[in-house]
Amino acid sequence: MRGHLPALDHDRMDPVPARYMIRINGHLGATMLSAFPALAPQQHGAHTVLTGLLDQSALYGVLAEIEALGLDLLELRKLNPDRESPQIDHDRSP
Amino acid sequence: MTVVSAPAGSGKTSLLRSWAGRPGQRYRLAVLQVQRDQQDAQQFWLALLDAVRHASATTGRAEPPAATPDFNPPAMVDQVLSELADACGGITVVIDDLHELTSPEALAQLTRLLTNLPPRVHAILTTRHDLPLGLHQLRLAGELAEIRATDLRFSESETCELLDASGIALSAAGVALLHQRTEGWAAGLRLAAISMAGHPEPERFVAEFSGSDRTVAEYLIAEMLERQPEDVQDLLLRTSLLDQVNGELADLLTGRSGSERILLSLEDANAFVVSLDPERTLFRYHHLFTDLLRLELRRTRPEEIPALHRRAAGWFILHGQVAEAIRHIEAAGDWTDAARLLADHSLSLALDGQAQTMQALVQAFPPGADHPELAMVRAGVDLNQGRLDEAAAHLTVAETYTQTAPPDRRRRLRVAVASLHLSLARRRGDLASVIEQVKFLASPVTGRSNEDITLGSDLRAVALMNLGTAEAWTLGLPDAERHLREGAILARRIGRPYLEVSCLAQLAFSYIFHGAALPKIASFATTQRHCREAIALAERYGWGTEPVVAPALMTLVSTMVWLGEFDEAERWLRRTERALQTDTGPDIRLLLHQTAGMLHAGRGRRHEALEEFGAAEDLASQLEGSQALASQMTGWLLATQARLGLSGKARALLAALDDERAHSGEILNARAVICLGEGDPAGALGALRDVLDGRAPALGYTTVMEAHLLAGFAHRELGDQRAANQAAERALALAESDRLILPFAMTGSAELLEALPRHETAHAALLVGILDVLHGASPAAKEQPSLPPTEELSPGELTVLRYLPTNLSRPEIAGELSVSPNTVNAHIRSIYAKLQVRDRSSAVRRARELRLLAAAGRAR
Repeated sequence: MRGHLPALDHDRMDPVPARYMIRINGHLGATMLSAFPALAPQQHGAHTVLTGLLDQSALYGVLAEIEALGLDLLELRKLNPDRESPQIDHDRSP
Repeated sequence: MTVVSAPAGSGKTSLLRSWAGRPGQRYRLAVLQVQRDQQDAQQFWLALLDAVRHASATTGRAEPPAATPDFNPPAMVDQVLSELADACGGITVVIDDLHELTSPEALAQLTRLLTNLPPRVHAILTTRHDLPLGLHQLRLAGELAEIRATDLRFSESETCELLDASGIALSAAGVALLHQRTEGWAAGLRLAAISMAGHPEPERFVAEFSGSDRTVAEYLIAEMLERQPEDVQDLLLRTSLLDQVNGELADLLTGRSGSERILLSLEDANAFVVSLDPERTLFRYHHLFTDLLRLELRRTRPEEIPALHRRAAGWFILHGQVAEAIRHIEAAGDWTDAARLLADHSLSLALDGQAQTMQALVQAFPPGADHPELAMVRAGVDLNQGRLDEAAAHLTVAETYTQTAPPDRRRRLRVAVASLHLSLARRRGDLASVIEQVKFLASPVTGRSNEDITLGSDLRAVALMNLGTAEAWTLGLPDAERHLREGAILARRIGRPYLEVSCLAQLAFSYIFHGAALPKIASFATTQRHCREAIALAERYGWGTEPVVAPALMTLVSTMVWLGEFDEAERWLRRTERALQTDTGPDIRLLLHQTAGMLHAGRGRRHEALEEFGAAEDLASQLEGSQALASQMTGWLLATQARLGLSGKARALLAALDDERAHSGEILNARAVICLGEGDPAGALGALRDVLDGRAPALGYTTVMEAHLLAGFAHRELGDQRAANQAAERALALAESDRLILPFAMTGSAELLEALPRHETAHAALLVGILDVLHGASPAAKEQPSLPPTEELSPGELTVLRYLPTNLSRPEIAGELSVSPNTVNAHIRSIYAKLQVRDRSSAVRRARELRLLAAAGRAR
C-alpha cells in the first residue's frame, strides 16, 4: 500500500513469473489478507503461508507491503514448478 | 550521527518526539518529516533547507527556498552544508521516515551531506529498513550510533511502567502475558493500552488477545476501532485515504462537522494521530495505522472509495494543491480527467519544481489507454531530462491533438505547445527556425474563471520569457527587450521569482548587443548594472549559481573583459562555469567558451584563446541554426590563428565561409590580421576599407575600433606614421565613452599607442589607463579602498580564503589542501569572523575589496 499510486514502471520488462511461497508469523485476518489479493493463503499452525505466481516487481511489491503492515516475515521461497505444487486452499478465512 | 533503523511500529517517531521534547537540549532542532512516497528530490531538499534555515535562525536574510524547473542537486547540497556551517551554535538535523524517500538521486546526495557534516552538527535518521547511504566510513570512525529493533523493544518492566502511566491496573501475570503476546512491540503495547483504558476487565482483554492467533496489529486495531463511537470510526476510515488531514477536509469526507475536535482528542489519547504544526490544525496518522485503515475501508466499503477521492481532489484543487488533486483523481480511476488536469497544469507544475512528481503521475496511467493530452506532459518531462528527440516526438502528437481539442481549451494548449517548442529550440540552439511561428505568444491569453486567469498568467509569463529569449539570441532587439521586461513584471506580479530572474538574466544578456550598437556614455556600465540586478535577485532566492542566472553572469564577465578588468572577469567566469555545470543549451556553452577565449586573448594568452575559440566553433557547427555572434567568434578564431603563425589554417577556414559571412566586418578584420601576418599591409588596408567606411555589416562599433587599430598597424608597416597615429586616435575616440580596453589588448596595440605623441591625442588619460592594463596592472588596482581595518588572517586562513572564489566545495578544498574538512570549516568560520561576513560570497567580495585574493590570481 504505497500511497494511492498503482505500481509504477509499467514499461519495464519483467522476467517470467514464478511461484513463490511466503511464510508470515500469525494468522492474517480478512483485512490483512486483502492487501495480498494475488496470493492464496493457507494456515499452517501459528503461521500463514501465502502462495502465488509473481514476477519480480510484484514480488518486491508484496515484500514492501509486508514491511508496511509491520508483519513478521519468516520465510520466502521460490517453488520448483515440477515437484512442489502445494494445494491451493480456497478458504481465505483466518 | 545516529541512525534508528527498525520496522513499522517499533516506536521510532515516538522515541524522537520524546527525546526532542526533553528539557535542556543543547542543540537546536531542524526536523524534517519525509512525505509519504517522496519521489521528488527537489521537494525533499527544499523541505530540508527550510527546516535547517528555521533552526539556524538565518531566515529573514534571504527569501524562503523556492523551487526551480532546473534543479541543481550538488549546488543544493552545498547550500544546505553552508547554512549548517554558518549557523550559530549547534544544530541537530532530524530526518524522520527516510525510507519514504524513493528518489535514488536524493539518497546519493544525502550521503554527501551526511559524510561532510560540519562540526557541532548532529544528524538523526529514522527508517524502516537500512538504506544505501554509504555510512561505513562513519561507522569505522566510531561516529555512527545505531539504534535497532531490539533496542526499541519494551522489556517486561517497561511494559509495566507504560501501563501504569496510562492508568491501567493489570496483574503481573497479565503484564507478562501481554508482553509475551506483543513481543515488546511498541505499537502493539500502545494499541493494547488504548483499548484497555476504556475496558471494564483488562485481564479478560489480555486473555482473549493472547488466545487469538491473529497478527498483533490487526487484532488490536480491530479492537480499538470497535470501541470508538461510530462517527470516529467513520472519520478514521474515510480520511485514511489522505496523507495529511485537517478538520475541514475531514468534515468534507465524512459529511459531518466537528472533525477537528475528534482529531484533537485522538491525538490527546495518543491514538496514532499526530499534529504536524504548532497550532495543531494539520494531522497525520501513523503510517502502519493508515495502511490498515485503508485496507479495512477497501474491504468493507469499496463502493465509497472513488467518491471519497473525488471529493478530496475537489478540495485540493480549490486550495491550489494540484499534484495532490491529480493523485486522488487517478486513484478514483478518472483517467481522462487526470490527463486533462495534468496537461493544463503541466507548465505550472514544472515551474513549481514538481517535474519529478509530474513524471510519477504520468507513469501511474494504466498502459495501453490512449490519452493524447498526456503527450504534452511527456514532452515537458522529456525536455526537463534532456531527452530532446523524445520530447520532439511527443510534441508532434500534442500539436496534432491541439487542433482537435475543444475550442475553449485550444488556445491554452496551443500556447503551451508553442512554449515547449521554444524551449526545445533553445536547447537545440535553433531559435531562428521557430520564432516566426510563435510570435502570437505575445498576445494575452483570455479566460473567464479564476483558474483560467492563473494558468493564463503562468503561460503568458513563460511565453514572454521564451519569446524574448529567442529574440535576444537572434538579435531581435528591441522586441526582446520589450517582451522580457513585460515578462519580468508579470512574473513578479504573479509571484514567480524563477521566471522573473530568468527574464532579467536574458534581458541583461540582450544588452550586450545594445551596448555594442553605438558608442554611448557608459553603456557597458549600464549593461553591468542590469546583470548585477538580475544576479542580486537570483541570490536572494539562493540561485546565484543556478543555470537560470547564467546569461547574466556571462554577460557580466563579457563586459568586464571588454573593460579590461581581467582578474575580476576570471573570478566571475569560474562562477558562470559552475552555474552551467548541469546540462544546458549548447548556445550558452558556446558563449562560455567564446568569453573564456576573449579573456585569454585579452591577457595575451593566445594558445589558450585559440583552444577556447576552437571549442566554441565546434559547438557552433553542431547547432542547427547559426547564432547571433557567429561572425565575431569566427573572426577572432581566424585572427588568433594568424597571430600564432597559422595563417595557412586561417586561410583555409576563410575560404570555406559563405559570401555573406566573409563580408561581415568581423571577418574582414580577421582577413586584415592574416594579411598583416603574411607581410601584406596593403592587402590588410584593402580588407579594412569596407569596415572603416561602414559598408560592411558589423556587430557593433567595437568591430570598427578594431579595424582602426589594424589599419594603424598596416600604416606603420607601410612607413606612414602619421596615418598610424590618426588611426590610433580614432580608435581611442571610439573607446572613450565606455573606456573599452579589450580591442587594444587583443590586437597587441601597446607599441601603436606608445608611438602616439601625447600632444596629438585628446584621450591622454584613457591612453595611460589602457597602457597600464596592457602592461599587466589591473585598472581597479588604482582605487585603494578605504575600509575599516580587519584582523589579519593567518597563513592557513589565507590559503583557504583563496579557494573561496572557486567552485570547489568545502570537502573538495580540504582534498586540494590535503587537510580534513573540519580544518577547512574551522578556517572558514574564522575567516568569516575576521572579515565580519556571514557567507561565502560576501567573504569573497570583502576579501577582494581588501586585495587579499591578489596573490591567488598570480599563482594560477
